[in-house]
Amino acid sequence: MKKSSRLARQKENIVETLQLPKDVCMGALRVTLTGNSEAWIENYRGILEYTGQTILLQGKTCQVCFEGSRLSIDYYTNEDMKISGCIAAVRFL
Amino acid sequence: MIALIQFLKGYLRIRVWGFSPERFMNLCSMRNILLWDIAKEGDVYYMNISLKGFRSLRPIARKTGTRVVILQRHGLPFFVPVLWKRKIFILGLLLCISFWIFSSFFIWDIELSGNYQITEDIFMSYLKSNHVTVGMRKRDLDIEALEKGIRRQFQIVTWTSARLDGTKLIIQIKENDTPPILSEEEEEGGKDLIAPFDGKIISMIVRNGVPKVSIGDEVTEGMVLVEGKIPVLNEDSTVREYQYVASDGDIIIEHTITCEETLPFDHIEKEYTGRTKVKYFLRIGNIEVKLDEEQPFLVYDSVIREKVPVLFQKLSIPVMAGSITHREYSNVEYTYSEEEAKKILSEKINEFFSSLEEKGVQIIEKDVTIIRGSSAWMLNGSLLVRERAFMQADTVVGPVPGEDTAAR
Repeated sequence: MKKSSRLARQKENIVETLQLPKDVCMGALRVTLTGNSEAWIENYRGILEYTGQTILLQGKTCQVCFEGSRLSIDYYTNEDMKISGCIAAVRFL
Repeated sequence: MIALIQFLKGYLRIRVWGFSPERFMNLCSMRNILLWDIAKEGDVYYMNISLKGFRSLRPIARKTGTRVVILQRHGLPFFVPVLWKRKIFILGLLLCISFWIFSSFFIWDIELSGNYQITEDIFMSYLKSNHVTVGMRKRDLDIEALEKGIRRQFQIVTWTSARLDGTKLIIQIKENDTPPILSEEEEEGGKDLIAPFDGKIISMIVRNGVPKVSIGDEVTEGMVLVEGKIPVLNEDSTVREYQYVASDGDIIIEHTITCEETLPFDHIEKEYTGRTKVKYFLRIGNIEVKLDEEQPFLVYDSVIREKVPVLFQKLSIPVMAGSITHREYSNVEYTYSEEEAKKILSEKINEFFSSLEEKGVQIIEKDVTIIRGSSAWMLNGSLLVRERAFMQADTVVGPVPGEDTAAR
């Protein structure tokens, strides 16, 4: 466990030193919000839960939860997705 | 653009429910099946899926324990078979389009403008004789030759332009508006200048002929002022012969003219009651379609407005739509006051003065009175005017005195 966290930190250090984009190298989630009505999400693994009030997405390292009302998915592909509706909160679990 | 591509490829609206719809969506995205407009209502998910994606959906649905039902079909792949069943409709559509294209190869209207002296009938018959008619093929029309032909045929036409606007041939011409120079004909017998009215000669300039009066003379109507008979004298100053000419000169005669105008005391004016009725009609050729024919009011006048829809204007189809507004009025009798009567009468007399001035008559003195007669307002005027005499009469052909003696 310690070894893996050490490796992760080393990797993060290298990425930071070389100034590489973290979403590409670390597999971090990339969320773009336009006000509270639209959100574009990249680098995710899949949907874990989808209701009108919650959309829970699985990333490589963490999960992200969009909370709000009248949430809908405008499109959903392997690369990216777009959520629209009234977004009240974005939580990382 | 994306919507167009989606329409061309075809897509479906589906309903998904069952054990794990989220996993169903994840698997779809893993297999590069595009899903859009995903919405959830209760336990059921609605989404759009491409037609190609739907065909490879069966293993995913089985794996995730979900059920998929098609709700709507959109796009060209679904539209074509429906259309294919209606062969007559497609045939009609194609025929219509082809007829439309075919008919655009012909001329369907000829419009002529700028003609004042050449009548449209004469022009159209000329065009017909040159095989330029309604219904001819556009490519058979040689516009340059037509323009040249028009100028050659009608000498009065100084400029011409013909052009095609869609299926309409527009011909614009310009006529020579200066009067044609007539060759002076040798007239037999001369012309006298005679006095058109009684008066006094004020000035006299004679260009041709023998003056019979002089400045200051009083003349009566019909009197010869300048004679068109010029005597040619022998050496012994007897008349050898007469040369007959058209006499010409500027002779100003001063004379008095009188004018009279009357204006009745009463007059009738239309007074609109404000009640109007609007009726609409449609005219196709000479056939008129009206909604009802009954008389709207007892006393009324009507304003008719006609309009040709733009589409029909372009196609030259004689379809006209319009409205008739009937306005009720009552005839009310009014009496002119003295001021009103004077104003109206003086307007009338001023019109008369200006018409005189237009004719080149110079007004020297005016004496106008307006009086109240027994039944109407009366205007009496006497004007002293100077007017040019240009009345002509045939010269009396008289015997040459010399010839008379010779005959004796």
